[in-house]
Amino acid sequence: MTKKEFRKLFNNRIVLLDGGMGTLLQEAGMPGGVCPEKWAAENSDLLIKAHRNYVEAGSDIIYTFTFGANRLKLSDYGLSDETVELNRTLAQIARKAAGRNTKIAGDISSCGSLLSPFGDIDFETAVDSFKAQVKGLLEGGVDLFVIETMMDLQEARAALIAVKELCDLPVMVTMTFDGPRTIMGSDPVSVLVTLQSLGADAVGCNCSSGPAEMVEIIEKMKPYAKVPLIAKPNAGKPTLKQGKTVFNMDAGTFASYAGTLVEAGADALGGCCGTTPLFIEKLKECTQSLRPVQRETKPYSLVCSNRETVEIHPSLPFTVIGERLNPTGKKALKEALKNGDMELVAEIARSQVEAGARLLDINAGVAGIDEKVTLEAMVRTVCNTVSVPIVLDSSNAEALESALRIYPGRAIINSISGEKEKIEKLLPLAKKYGAMFILLPVNDQGVPETAEERIDIVREVYNEAKKFGFGKEDILVDGLVMTVASNQSCAVETLKVISWCSKRFKVNTTIGLSNVSFGLPAREHINASFLSMAVANGLSTAILNPNNESMMQNVRATDVLMARDLDAKNYIDFYSGQTKSENNTVKSQASGKTLYDLILAGDRDAVEEAVRQELIAGRLAKDIMNMVLIPAIQKVGELYEKKEYFLPQLIRGAEAMEKAMKVLEPELVKNSDNNNHHHGIIVIATVKGDVHDIGKNIVAMLLRNYGFNVIDLGKDVEANHIIETAKKHNADIIALSALMTTTMNQMKVVKKLMDCEGMTCRLMVGGAVLDNSYAESIGAYYAHDAYRAVKLAEELVK
Amino acid sequence: MHEIKVLKCLKPVYNKSLILSRLGYDKKRTVLSGEAMREVERLILYTEKNLNLKAAYRVMDIIRIDAPQVVLSDGTVLSGMKLSELLKDSKEALIMCATGGSKIMELIERLQAEGKMSEAAIVDAAASEITDSALDLVMNMVGQYLRPKGQFLTKMRFSPGYGDFDITQQRDFYRLLDGETLGISITDTCMLIPEKSVFAIAGIIGK
Repeated sequence: MTKKEFRKLFNNRIVLLDGGMGTLLQEAGMPGGVCPEKWAAENSDLLIKAHRNYVEAGSDIIYTFTFGANRLKLSDYGLSDETVELNRTLAQIARKAAGRNTKIAGDISSCGSLLSPFGDIDFETAVDSFKAQVKGLLEGGVDLFVIETMMDLQEARAALIAVKELCDLPVMVTMTFDGPRTIMGSDPVSVLVTLQSLGADAVGCNCSSGPAEMVEIIEKMKPYAKVPLIAKPNAGKPTLKQGKTVFNMDAGTFASYAGTLVEAGADALGGCCGTTPLFIEKLKECTQSLRPVQRETKPYSLVCSNRETVEIHPSLPFTVIGERLNPTGKKALKEALKNGDMELVAEIARSQVEAGARLLDINAGVAGIDEKVTLEAMVRTVCNTVSVPIVLDSSNAEALESALRIYPGRAIINSISGEKEKIEKLLPLAKKYGAMFILLPVNDQGVPETAEERIDIVREVYNEAKKFGFGKEDILVDGLVMTVASNQSCAVETLKVISWCSKRFKVNTTIGLSNVSFGLPAREHINASFLSMAVANGLSTAILNPNNESMMQNVRATDVLMARDLDAKNYIDFYSGQTKSENNTVKSQASGKTLYDLILAGDRDAVEEAVRQELIAGRLAKDIMNMVLIPAIQKVGELYEKKEYFLPQLIRGAEAMEKAMKVLEPELVKNSDNNNHHHGIIVIATVKGDVHDIGKNIVAMLLRNYGFNVIDLGKDVEANHIIETAKKHNADIIALSALMTTTMNQMKVVKKLMDCEGMTCRLMVGGAVLDNSYAESIGAYYAHDAYRAVKLAEELVK
Repeated sequence: MHEIKVLKCLKPVYNKSLILSRLGYDKKRTVLSGEAMREVERLILYTEKNLNLKAAYRVMDIIRIDAPQVVLSDGTVLSGMKLSELLKDSKEALIMCATGGSKIMELIERLQAEGKMSEAAIVDAAASEITDSALDLVMNMVGQYLRPKGQFLTKMRFSPGYGDFDITQQRDFYRLLDGETLGISITDTCMLIPEKSVFAIAGIIGK
């Protein structure tokens, strides 16, 4: 079956797939614990019957019963040597069962273990395992392939590459989702973009859940889908009835979702676990009058990792491509790459993304190192560290292929020029792995000086790319920034290219920004001005240093001025509540609020100054404390009790109070107002054997700021030490925390020692595993949470 | 699946509202400014980035359930009435573990030392929830492997320390999953280090 014939299947009709096979064969007598594929091959009559039931129910495409027949999975049953033969046999059985009009899809699914980096299976091992299966299925005469029930996008890619490297048959790929993402964390759009650009002929979702939950996944894919979309859900959720697994949805209810799924964008429907030929029959009834919804034909420039998709367009917020993962001129990175040390790569990746980079350029060009090995290692590190998509900056075809092959998303190649060798080597590579690319307008004659010459090259390369199926949306043109220090008119030529690309040719653009100022002093001014000018001419992206804050300020501002940041939302989100202080650092805006409000707001930064202002205004420290701070912190507690505040707000209030008191205390001492201003003395500790102490630390801080003198002994504290400290300071309360049943008995030990010593102070206890009855059983008082510990302590010292 | 399988570099899907719930956030009553919510979200992302999530699991046959005792194929005896009830329809059990690594605990301690207790509380809650989500991921993944065989997992999972499922049984889990290879250590009092580590068991239902 050709890809064209496959697309024809979807002309003005909904394609019907098959339903669950496992259930049918189990009912036909397949025992548990056997290799299902082997058993089915040995019981071909039963398998033919199951397939025929689906053909008769109306399936346009049936799947071979080879779900787990890849080499890795078959090794669980010691059958890996039979991979090719078993797949061939099962495909032949399906062929025998299918009528003239029913197509057979060679079914491939997970190898049963996770691929690197999640698990131990190497990418190429997975590809090879799938290839053995593909070989058998091809020998068995399948019409097309389906890769289904994949949890990890990388494994789906491995299977798709395996098929593509062995044949040109159409391939459908469906993944299983858990809520809004696949189990390994990919979102529907990244799944779609990755797979359709890699060459899948249909993409979608199977298994996962019931049909209702699948609607949202298909809806999310729909706007960006260039290929038909598939929905093949389960018959609801599994339950156990009289010792048998059953699904909770009947065929009629299942099929009643057909209209909704088609409206959401599904072009092909079928069933997965728990569905039977009756479900497909009902689906056929429900879909006969349905037609696929018309798709918006707008082309999108989409690049993605396995977790995040970025759309590039001159009308959308400017896309910053982080430039810092390039060893040129960076001694530390160069050394790290030479030594194979990827820690610095991870750190640079993280810091660029935190600073606002939406894509990361990766370059491994260091003399004397193996670029292929290093680029691949850098890509793996970046993928494990951040979610943003990548730009592969290399002219080494071998290094590029190895990186593109293992990248679990859609990358951009930086770059493909008009040079003959580049076109011949790199365009097929971009096509094979579905990458976008940066078109560099230079050719074998060198770098053209004028915009017109560059535009000619853009047209030439684009025409070549079109032959491989690329559209304008798959390309970013590099405006080619030269240094103005050597030729002052070059900046204007670059702007002309950008403007032409953006306004006439309608293609995205990029620049390597910092080249423009090379050789000049105060380069940042030239860079910033040139960036603004280029953005005004329609520049979509730039490769720049996102850790240069002034450059990022420029990006945020130009996005507002060019109406790329709608309603200035991103700008306002970033800068709201912030104002510049004299030393040009950004600080929280606190002015205008009273001291009381600042405690309520937990504004740690502004509260000290506010106390000083109160003192300067002549207010007595004692009055500030009694009339402002204490009522404010009590109000914080009240709001917490009403659940209008949650724990971090309660703590922030106490932290602000702590800062205020630090300013006030010298004044209180000076005016002898500090006599016994605390409510009481509390010795607090986490008990012996218990190393968890954040809960205790929060309680200690709150107690301190509600006026107690707190002596914090830390964690894993011996009972004797607690007793001695309490005696030495004449404590009113001993407060103990324990998180585990194995350590809470230490509380009893402390209480016994207290009784032996005849101590009159109270014992207050808290912690995750405690309750009131345990506290009472040892003669202690129980505090359920940090704030109640404060209230309880206040009661106990009354 | 009977041998121990180790998963690394996990980025599980987690529920932000469960992190907020751990911190006492009440959807209807708690009032939080947009700026404060963004700060919470920033800290959750910070946590996500600094967790080094690993998980391990294995499937074991259940030889016998004689409430409260559950006897596994290697002779390990787990004990708990609710645990026995959870596993009553199961012939196999999924034993699992997730750990967030030590770096996040160092960061929580650093935040406390810097006097940023509210930030520390948020990161602590986020780290607990996200680590727990790694067990959801394990269950979803294993559930998916089981489905073609007509099997599924119990909806719930139990961890030692839950109800009468005594915390000391963490030692059995530690042994069964070889906690050391995941970088986890266990104290005499059965505490797990790094703190953001969790063991659990669920039942496999069906053939």
